[in-house]
Amino acid sequence: MTAPATPSNASEPEPESGAAPPPASERPSTGPGGRARLGDRLHSAVARGHARVSGSALGPYQTAIVRIGFSFTWLLFLLREWPHRRELYGPDSPMSWDMANRLLDTNRAFSALIWTDSTLWFEIVYTLGIVSSVLLLLGWRTRTMSVLFMLGVLSLQNRSVFIGDGGDNLIHLMATYLALTRCGQVWSLDARRAARRKEPSRDTTGIVLWAVLGLVLLWAQLFTDARLALTADGPLPGIGWGTVLWGLWIVQAGWWLVGRYAPGEPRTVLDVLANLAHNGTLLVIMGEVCLLYATAGWYKIQGSRWQDGTALYYPLHLDYFAPWPGLADLMASNGTLVMVLTYGTVIMQVAFPFTLLNRRAKNVMLVLLMLEHLGIAIMLGLPFFSLAALAADAVFLPTAFLLWTGARATGVRSRVVARVRRLRGPRAPERDEEPRARTLIG
Amino acid sequence: MAEPETDDETARRLASLSLPAQLIIAVATAIAAVAAAIHLGMAFLNVAPSNTLTKQHGEAIDDYVYPEFERNWKLFAPNPLQQNIAVQARAEIRTADGGTATTGWRNLSAEDGAAIRHNLLPSHTQQNELRRAWEFYVSSHDEQDRSVGERGPLFEQYIRRIVMLRFGREEGGGTVERIQVRSATTALPAPPWSDEKIGTKTVYRLLPWWPVTGDDLPEAKSR
Repeated sequence: MTAPATPSNASEPEPESGAAPPPASERPSTGPGGRARLGDRLHSAVARGHARVSGSALGPYQTAIVRIGFSFTWLLFLLREWPHRRELYGPDSPMSWDMANRLLDTNRAFSALIWTDSTLWFEIVYTLGIVSSVLLLLGWRTRTMSVLFMLGVLSLQNRSVFIGDGGDNLIHLMATYLALTRCGQVWSLDARRAARRKEPSRDTTGIVLWAVLGLVLLWAQLFTDARLALTADGPLPGIGWGTVLWGLWIVQAGWWLVGRYAPGEPRTVLDVLANLAHNGTLLVIMGEVCLLYATAGWYKIQGSRWQDGTALYYPLHLDYFAPWPGLADLMASNGTLVMVLTYGTVIMQVAFPFTLLNRRAKNVMLVLLMLEHLGIAIMLGLPFFSLAALAADAVFLPTAFLLWTGARATGVRSRVVARVRRLRGPRAPERDEEPRARTLIG
Repeated sequence: MAEPETDDETARRLASLSLPAQLIIAVATAIAAVAAAIHLGMAFLNVAPSNTLTKQHGEAIDDYVYPEFERNWKLFAPNPLQQNIAVQARAEIRTADGGTATTGWRNLSAEDGAAIRHNLLPSHTQQNELRRAWEFYVSSHDEQDRSVGERGPLFEQYIRRIVMLRFGREEGGGTVERIQVRSATTALPAPPWSDEKIGTKTVYRLLPWWPVTGDDLPEAKSR
């Protein structure tokens, strides 16, 4: 970003200047001296920065791919574990319901599974976890589904917290973050519906969904042991799950009311607030990914095996991470290769946050990290961990690449649809969607 | 989607809002910025090594981070695990004729390993359940298997229930009355190109016999 040579006439929407100052062009010239010009430039940069984070939800394609990535990972995991679901989180778990209840009593984590020990309830929650993952993946009622997705992830994982690994941990964090982002702006059924709709509709489905969820929440609040307090036992100090869930429920109603009855300024303000939440959370997501790699790298540098270049040799020979022993032996048989990969891993992880300063370096690094995760998925038998890491990495993918991939996917889809239509017989062809306006982010 | 507006256009549009609206937006901007900064700061302190700040404000940091924002990944750092740890178990059983007998050691980790081999999508029940449980047990007990910290008894019961889940009430032709668990730790040999000498003799850690009660059986099966 470069500041313009001439000060822009952007007014400052900061709190200390309640009334908008006159446009800079009307202000008296500050005469010679770089200080005034620097002040103007700073002023204009701040105004533009503020306009950017409040005027739009940045990275629409990046947040969409993160949404798709994490919902897909969790969906695949839930489907894969379907035969084991009762042993993992249900009545057959070595972590019995009583043990989980006692543990959650001390650590105060959220799990809908301890509201009641009924097996039916467990099956409902697991199934809802699958359903919310599918719908979040498709971007149907993204706002609501992202919250349900989060609650599903937290409910299952916190019920049997000792069975999780780093991948689960990452999904846990990102599921909470996603609930605060506008991750359905593109590549979603919501976006398609919004594009087709000409005037605001009453949105009966939304009202029904909202009412049903309100009733469920009321049931949980009144008739179960759910700890939906206002200020205690919540995700953050001083904020209880009662505040979070009822708050989101009320916000949803407010959003609808304002959109329908106050489309002017109130609507603009709400839109800005949602953008601010989105952009703040997007920053947190990116920071979290940087932190993940940076700390992994920093700690590795201290390890003797990462120093002597043999670290990679060892995990490849652990019985718990050896799905393909022959392949692992082949890979671990070359000392130089192991050394190069070992050092390469540390260098990449330590360097990653700094490569964000240069777009080209960042993209090269991203490709390498993604390749490494593909390798980990297969060689160490950690597909879900790797998928989660890939989904997190995707927040840094360049918009151009995402658009290109999206166009490809749309092309494949329309070809498939066309073929299906031809097989089914002639019917009025549906017009292809217009390609979306390209954003300048990423 | 309409053509995206430029930052200057956005700034003008927001500046034309009423004073209360601008105030709300300004306050919200500040809150969002501060919240993101606090969250990332806490995340950093959560994963950073013990330092001046974490020593002074450890409790506040823990309050913030736990239970929902914990980061417990190790990612093969500082060193990857360099030994295979197998958890094995045997049972003392009451046979049909009323006598007691002791079964041979059953290598539960080897069963996990066999299930993971040639498996593109290993289950958490195979890859994490027993492996992680043993890590938790070791970290919550001293060498004499005395519980250290609050969660010792929990992890002891957890291990017992995992073993009983795999044994079932009946094992080796009798009813299980007591079980014993041991770990067999074998260091991985040094890589072939290395001149380092690493002893690869298996070291055992034997836990005491534990009586099995109804609480140690999976709920669905005991009901």
